[in-house]
Amino acid sequence: MSKVIDVELRGIIKKFQNNVVVQDFNLQVEQGEFIAFLGPSGCGKTTTLNMIAGFLDPDGGDLLIKGQRMNGVPPYKRELGMVFQTYSLFPHMTVAENIAYGLKLRKVGKQEMQERVKRVLELVKLPNVADRYPKQLSGGQRQRIAIARALVIEPSLLLLDEPLSNLDAKLREELRDELKRLHQEIGVTTIFVTHDQEEALALSDRIVVLNHGFVEQIGTPLEIYNQPASEFVHTFIGKTNRMEGEVIAIDADGIKVRTTGGLLIQAAKQAREFSLQQKVIVFVRPEKIKLSDTGVHTGANQVEGHLQLASFLGSYTECEVVAGKHTLSVKVQMSDKSAEREAGTTVYCNWDAEDVLIMPAERG
Amino acid sequence: MNKRLSITLLTAPAMIVLLGVFILPMLLMLMLSFQDDNQAFTLKNYALFIQDSFYLEILWRTIRVSLWTVLATLLLGFPVAMYMAQASGKMRGIVTMFILAPHLISVVIRNFGWVVVLGEKGWINETLMKLGLIEQPLRLLYNELGVVIGLTDSFIAYMVLALATSMYAIDPSLSKAASILGASRARTFFTVTLPLTLPGIIAGTTLVFSLSMSAFVTPALMGGTSVKVMPVIAYEQIMATLNWPLGAALAFLLLGSTILLVTLYTKLIETKRYKEVFAS
Ligand SMILES: Nc1ncnc2c1ncn2[C@@H]1O[C@H](COP(=O)(O)OP(=O)(O)OP(=O)(O)O)[C@@H](O)[C@H]1O
Ligand SMILES: [Mg+2]
Repeated sequence: MSKVIDVELRGIIKKFQNNVVVQDFNLQVEQGEFIAFLGPSGCGKTTTLNMIAGFLDPDGGDLLIKGQRMNGVPPYKRELGMVFQTYSLFPHMTVAENIAYGLKLRKVGKQEMQERVKRVLELVKLPNVADRYPKQLSGGQRQRIAIARALVIEPSLLLLDEPLSNLDAKLREELRDELKRLHQEIGVTTIFVTHDQEEALALSDRIVVLNHGFVEQIGTPLEIYNQPASEFVHTFIGKTNRMEGEVIAIDADGIKVRTTGGLLIQAAKQAREFSLQQKVIVFVRPEKIKLSDTGVHTGANQVEGHLQLASFLGSYTECEVVAGKHTLSVKVQMSDKSAEREAGTTVYCNWDAEDVLIMPAERG
Repeated sequence: MNKRLSITLLTAPAMIVLLGVFILPMLLMLMLSFQDDNQAFTLKNYALFIQDSFYLEILWRTIRVSLWTVLATLLLGFPVAMYMAQASGKMRGIVTMFILAPHLISVVIRNFGWVVVLGEKGWINETLMKLGLIEQPLRLLYNELGVVIGLTDSFIAYMVLALATSMYAIDPSLSKAASILGASRARTFFTVTLPLTLPGIIAGTTLVFSLSMSAFVTPALMGGTSVKVMPVIAYEQIMATLNWPLGAALAFLLLGSTILLVTLYTKLIETKRYKEVFAS
């Protein structure tokens, strides 16, 4: 069975005055896929979503939905569902009227309308709020109703613009799981905009990482995490330790690098090719580093240093280890005894060659 | 001293002025309206209103002219307010200035401006006749149309500002939400923008209606002797005929009718739903 492409962006460009906000955006979204647009504030996520929705027209390139070119087609003819960051429920309509709004425009019969409103309210687990006004709901409830209103018209595509960013941390996680469940249940093709990498990693089939209007990488969460296409992707997806250095040996097992601080680092085989004496940047994630009181071995990937600054963050503790020129950030799980060490203690940091990422230095 | 009390005390100077120049004279006039020539109590000034259809007709004309003015300011003001609602802060300021600037000029002068424009030899009639569109000059002045034009010019600013204030409070993403759900622009206007502007519409219409009901200068200048309204005949009774009790009674009848109509109107519009949606 061949894949069905629901949405296609072909070289989409958007400028505001002379400011290029989206640059040559290419993407194919398969039917039923959950795609996240991930990137820092101002990178063009909302702009791109607004072009897909029809609120903005691209200055270049083609936008296809279900194989049909959509440039210039107004939003109300696109049959899409969209949830806005500010919920955007109609304040003068009850929950039921809000949800029925799109159905009324589609001239759905009264009986069927009531049934569909009821069903979608059950889907978002709020069966008892039909007669309330939006302002009589909590933030999380409003967000669910906004999702219900978008879903009830059975859109060909669901667009979500940072739908969770106005909620507190706990509710955000809850609604995140809810979104995942909804997507698995109804399988609607979804594009989800966020600047929260955890949300993107947890929800998506694929992530589009954007930076200043450029697509930095498109890939599954694992690909993005393990094989970042650029330093930007790697650093945006989570905290990391960065060390500059030079390749000193390449063999079948991998690459050896000496950092400017004199550390010897052994990395496993990389996706990229490197040459001897090439200037490189070495990355190791804080959660991959293990702390111990005695060194494990004397070869590479070991640093002796002083424990500084430890912030207790619930399930883990974030520490900084100062070792000569380098300061390493380390995440210690609570189950680890070493979480109880005091500041100033001498500790050893170790990590595996598989957890080292190397990138060429000349970029950027 | 508690906060409530000190705030109340701060309103004292205004209260005293209001009491002295507004409430007291009003009470005096009210008493006067129930007096006959010998200062004895009588209802005849009010009875006259029921007996003589002349006065009822004038009241009805006053209401009619005011309603037309409300309609004209609403229809002309709505697009301006909508423009302001989507404009930048700077543009809003400029438009507000343009709307308010004419009020720096006395209403008398502005009305005379209209006389020049609308008169039989005014430039509207001259132009239309030169173009051959009409043979006889149109009567645009000294009739109800002239009064409505003058009042509309005087009061449109209040309507626009009331509507705009209400529209500023509408989240612009609501129109987007309606649009993506399938509503055309016209549909979005009637189902989202218009209902959410209702508080502004109520404020603007009641304000313009009350102002038009009590307007004196414009009807006097642009209606002439043929389009007399309540404030004008009350004035005549007091200043020309020197029949103060009748003038006072007419003034209170006008006040009573205005209050009654405005109350009925707001009661009618402010339904249970309205209160639930717009109550803060
Ligand atoms: N109407 C506009 N006129 C001019 N510039 C605009 C306009 N809308 C957006 N921009 C600019 O385009 C860039 C991208 O904006 P966009 O709203 O797409 O960012 P975003 O990725 O959604 O950011 P955020 O995470 O903060 O919502 C920003 O630099 C912004 O200033
Ligand atoms: Mg945005």
